[in-house]
Parts: sequence; structure tokens; C-alpha cells
Amino acid sequence: MNKDLPVIDVRGLHKSFDGTEVLKGVDFTIQRGEIISIIGSSGSGKSTLLRCMNWLEVPDGGTIRIVGDLVGVRADGKTPMPERDLARMRARMAMVFQSFNLWPHFNVLRNVTEAPVHVKGLGKAEARERAEHWLERVGMIHKKDAYPFTLSGGQKQRVAIARALAMDPEVILFDEPTSALDPELVGEVQEVIGELASDGFTMAIVTHEMAFARSISNEVAFIEKGVIVEKGPPGTLFTNPESDRLRQFIRRHI
Amino acid sequence: MTQSAWISLLQGAWTTIWVSAAAIALGVAIGFLIAILRNARIPVLDRLLTFYVSIVRATPMITLVLFLFVSAPMLPFDVAPWVVAVAAMTINTAAFNAEIWRTALVTFPREQIEAAKACGMTEHGMMRRIMLPQMVITSMPALVNEMSLLIKSSPAIAMVGLVDLTRVTNRITAVTYEPLPPILGAALIYFLMIGALVRLQRFADKYARRLAM
Amino acid sequence: MNLQDWLTVWTHFDEVVKGFGVTVLFFVVASVGGFALGCVCVYAMEGRASVAKRLLRAALDVMRTLPFLIVLYLLYYGLPQLGIRMGAWTAGVLALTTYHAAYYAEILRGARATLPVGQVEAARSHGFSPFTAYFRILLPQMVLRSGPLIGNQLVGCLKDTAFLSIITIYEMTAAANALQAIYFIPMPAFIVVILAYWLISLILERLLRRMGRYAKLRGLSYE
Repeated sequence: MNKDLPVIDVRGLHKSFDGTEVLKGVDFTIQRGEIISIIGSSGSGKSTLLRCMNWLEVPDGGTIRIVGDLVGVRADGKTPMPERDLARMRARMAMVFQSFNLWPHFNVLRNVTEAPVHVKGLGKAEARERAEHWLERVGMIHKKDAYPFTLSGGQKQRVAIARALAMDPEVILFDEPTSALDPELVGEVQEVIGELASDGFTMAIVTHEMAFARSISNEVAFIEKGVIVEKGPPGTLFTNPESDRLRQFIRRHI
Repeated sequence: MTQSAWISLLQGAWTTIWVSAAAIALGVAIGFLIAILRNARIPVLDRLLTFYVSIVRATPMITLVLFLFVSAPMLPFDVAPWVVAVAAMTINTAAFNAEIWRTALVTFPREQIEAAKACGMTEHGMMRRIMLPQMVITSMPALVNEMSLLIKSSPAIAMVGLVDLTRVTNRITAVTYEPLPPILGAALIYFLMIGALVRLQRFADKYARRLAM
Repeated sequence: MNLQDWLTVWTHFDEVVKGFGVTVLFFVVASVGGFALGCVCVYAMEGRASVAKRLLRAALDVMRTLPFLIVLYLLYYGLPQLGIRMGAWTAGVLALTTYHAAYYAEILRGARATLPVGQVEAARSHGFSPFTAYFRILLPQMVLRSGPLIGNQLVGCLKDTAFLSIITIYEMTAAANALQAIYFIPMPAFIVVILAYWLISLILERLLRRMGRYAKLRGLSYE
């Protein structure tokens, strides 16, 4: 594995929904160890960009690569990848969703061990060990036998994060992880994500929490109307925005 | 009612039970297959299956049994009456189960499917581990309800000569000339059978609601 | 099965029409009657609990655990033993009506439970008598909320009419059976009749959809 290749490499991404073009040719890279926040107003295409990375949305044009390997299509760039190969690609990434999306018929522990056992082929004991390690990390080990419906939003999201980590992914994709949470619960989840950031994980976070983005990322991308307008370290981006649009956006959200 | 009459009733009940059970087992499975096939949206097959489901759900059981019974001689081999009975009941209940499973499939929360996909699960793995277990639980009330309805339409199998719980009352009356006791006896047995299913349905309903969060 | 068979059906189509007429007659009478009786039962069970109400509820519950044919047998074969004789048609109508009334009662009872308490209070405070409040305010809402369940029940009633052939009523299935037996045309006769049942159910479905639109306009949809 070439350590110099970006973990995620997006080139010329196009995506339309019902005739409206949402992504208009996006180029984007995530380097190893980078924590990049993707910000923009609603409808800007930020979630779509993230969801294209693991092919939950199928792009209309452009390529996605994970550490150099094409996602979603075969080497010719056109024929769709067979399902099993796509699944294997996805197993290398992990996604944390806005609405947590835990599986309600499994308890917390099983939610975290299910994919490692049945997708990665880990032994049950090893998966359990890993799961308990990550649950402890996110502060949910005491609830490992509980069922999702008994948990608060913040607790569910932390379990979802543990579930993502248990897959030992090369990159973690966060799709508005705190948007569906009550204000009091946002803090606990942001804290967990912040800790992971300092552990050296590669992460892409779509968020509209500006202060959060500013504090944990080492790179911020501003996307507006399907195009990445500006990209740079949070320090300079937020204090000295180059484009007018970003300036307006910051003013509206601070 | 004499003991022999009760024994006849129980024999009739047994016929009702085993034919219904066979049809239920086959019908639930076939219904599931139909729902999956329809979900795959294969052009010609989709139309055919939709047509089949629609027409069979509107056909009375007795009409279906008779239709198959009089059409069976056209087949190049002999068909025993019980085969016709089970076939008719299966064809009927499969159509209803197909609708139940289809609803479960269509209303299954997309978010869970996305989470499974994002973890790298295949369609097959997803269905086995995530979707089917939950679909069974949430569909259980409807599935059990359909089982009761099937048993309530089972007297139609008497048309092929099978002596079910209802037909056997005629037999008993032919001997005793007292129609009321065997009919009431049969009613009691039906009441117990369906009553058990209703209890099962209520229990399933409570369990399903817990899953719905 | 060949063209000759189908022509035979066509020649004797009046038999099919006769059977069709009988089926539709029983279906309409039993559906309207059963529904009305069901409404009355639910009204009777309204209000504070009493022994009588609980007995009625139990009776309806028992009815719904029985196959239709047993209820029919009870009326047609069973009652004569107690001295109550009735013709096949009477037994048929009574059985269908009371049997399906039990189901309509259960459907409406379920819908009643979902009505907001405020409805009753608003009606009472406007001076409606309990009877008028029920039939003008509550019941219409209950009906509109139960659309698909009532639709299902109607199709069920249609299908139960076929059982009447067992007590020698010449409805559609009996007609098909007679035709196939007399003229040796097994499949065409039944196919025509099955299509006829299907046609009726499609018409019912369309009516149901219209009712659904009516309900939706008033925000009373069951969705």
C-alpha cells in the first residue's frame, strides 16, 4: 500500500437529482491522518459528496478512489462494480449517520460486533474484545447489553461511532453527526469525535457546527452550489476567507 | 353427544389442522419469494405476479378448490384429492402472504439498510441478518391473522371429499339425526383453535410494537 | 379446453348472469345490513361498562373465531332441531349479515378508540344527544378512518357468498359448477366466474379509493 496516496481521491464528481445538478465537478482529496470538515449551506451538496464516497449515491460522472483503488466501477471507469467488490470497498470505510441508524433488534454489543464478524470474518471472541474496547472508548461499555430503544440520541450516536471504529476503517465519514441531537447531547458526541481526532484517524465530517469544525479539523472545505469554493486550514479559512461567498456564509453562521 | 361422535369431530379437526398447516408453511414461504421477486422489478414477471395476487385474493376458496378439482383430470397424471386441497389453500394464502411481506419490505427503514451497506454488507447478508429477522417480527400479527382467516375458509376442502371439521358434522347428523350437538361441538373446537391463534397474535403484536421504537 | 367449450359458456351465459345476480344480491344486502348492524353494536357498547355490554362483546368475539360455514350450518341445520325452520335464502342472509356485523363492529370499535376525546366533548357541549352525536359526528369519522379495513371486509363478504352454494343457493359458484357438470366444460365456466369475482372486487377497490380521497380532503385519512 503506497503511503503517499491520498486515502480518498475524488475527481470530477457530478451528481444530479431529478434533473437538478447537485455536484458540478468536484475535486477533493483526503490525506492520511487528515481531519477535514465539509461545510456549506443546506442544498450545497455536502452530504451528497460524502455519500458518493461510499457509493450510497451513485455519481453521474467522475471517479472515487480509496487509496488508489476505484470505488463503484471497474477499471474501465464505466461498468458498475459487482456487488461483492463494492461491499469490500465499503468495508474499508465507515460511516456515521445523522440518524444513527442502529439496528434495533440487536443489543449494543451485537450492533458493534455484527459487521466485523460477518463482513470482515473476525472470530466472535476477537470481535467482542474489539467491540468492548471501542465501546469503552466512547463511554458506552456500561450499556453493552442494552437495546437501542432504551438509549438517548447521544448514546445511540456514540454506539454508532463505536460500530464504525470496530471495522478498523481507513477513513471515517461523518454525515452531520450531531444534527439530529438535542442541544444538551451534542457536546458528548463532539467530545468523542474530538478524542478520535487526536488519535490520528482519517476523518471527513459534514457539519454545520462551525465552532466544532474549527476546533477539531486541520482542513476545512467550503462547498456552495455543488462546487468547492475554498479549501484550507481552519485558522486561515475562518479568519481570512478569500471568497465573498465564504465570507457571507461565515457571517451568517457565527 | 356420544364418544364416537367426539372422536369423529376430532378426526375432522385433525384433517382441518394438517391441511391448513401444510398450506400455511408453503404459503408463507412462497409469499415471501413472491414479494422478493416483485421487489426486483423484473418486467414481465412483475406483471404476472401482480395479476396472480390480485385475482387470487378476490377468489372465494370454495370456487378455487372446485376449479382445481375439475381441472385436475386434464393433467397427465392422477392427482389425489388432498393434493388439490393443499394446492388450493396454498395458492390462496400465498397471495395474501405476498402482500404482507411486500408491505414489510417496502416499509423497512431505509436508514438501517444504508448503515448495513456502509459497513460493507452484501444484499444477501443484509437480508439474512438485518431485514428478515425484523420483518418477521413486525409482520407476525398480520401473518397470524392470515393463518386464522385460512382456517376459517378451510371448510371449502370438503368439496374434494376431504372430511374436515365442518363436513364431519353432516356425517354425524346422518347417524344421530340431531344436527345441533355436532355443529356446536365443531364450533367449540374452531373457537379453541382460532382463539389460540388470536392469543398468539396479540402477543406478537406487543413484541412487534417494542421493535418499532 | 377449446373454442367449442367457450362457445358453450357463451350460449348458456344467462346461467352465469343468474348466478351473478344472486351473488350480488346477497353481497349487497349482507354488506349493508351487516355494516348497519355492526354500527348499532358498537353504539350499544359505547359508554360505561356493563354486564350486557361485556356479553355482547364476548359474543362478537366468539363469532369472529368461527368459520362462516359453521354459522350458516347453525342457522340452517342446527336451529330446526329447536323448532326454528327457515329457508335457505333466509338462513343465508341472516348468517352473512350477522357474521360480518361482528367484523364491522370490531373494525369500528378499533377506530372509535383512536378518536380524540375532544370530539365527544365538543358534540356534547353543543347540545347533541348521545344518539345524534354518535351517528352524525363520531361514526362518520370512524368509517372514514377505517377505509382499507372496511374494503377488505367487503371483499371477504363477497367471497363468503360462495359458501351459500353448499346449502343449494344458486349463486355464481353454483352456476359455474352446474355448467361444468352438465356440459363437460370444466375450465371456461370457472374462469369466467373467477373473472367476475375479480371484476366486482376491482369495482369495490375503485369505490374505496374514492372514499379515501374524500377522507384525505378532510384530513381524516387513515394514512
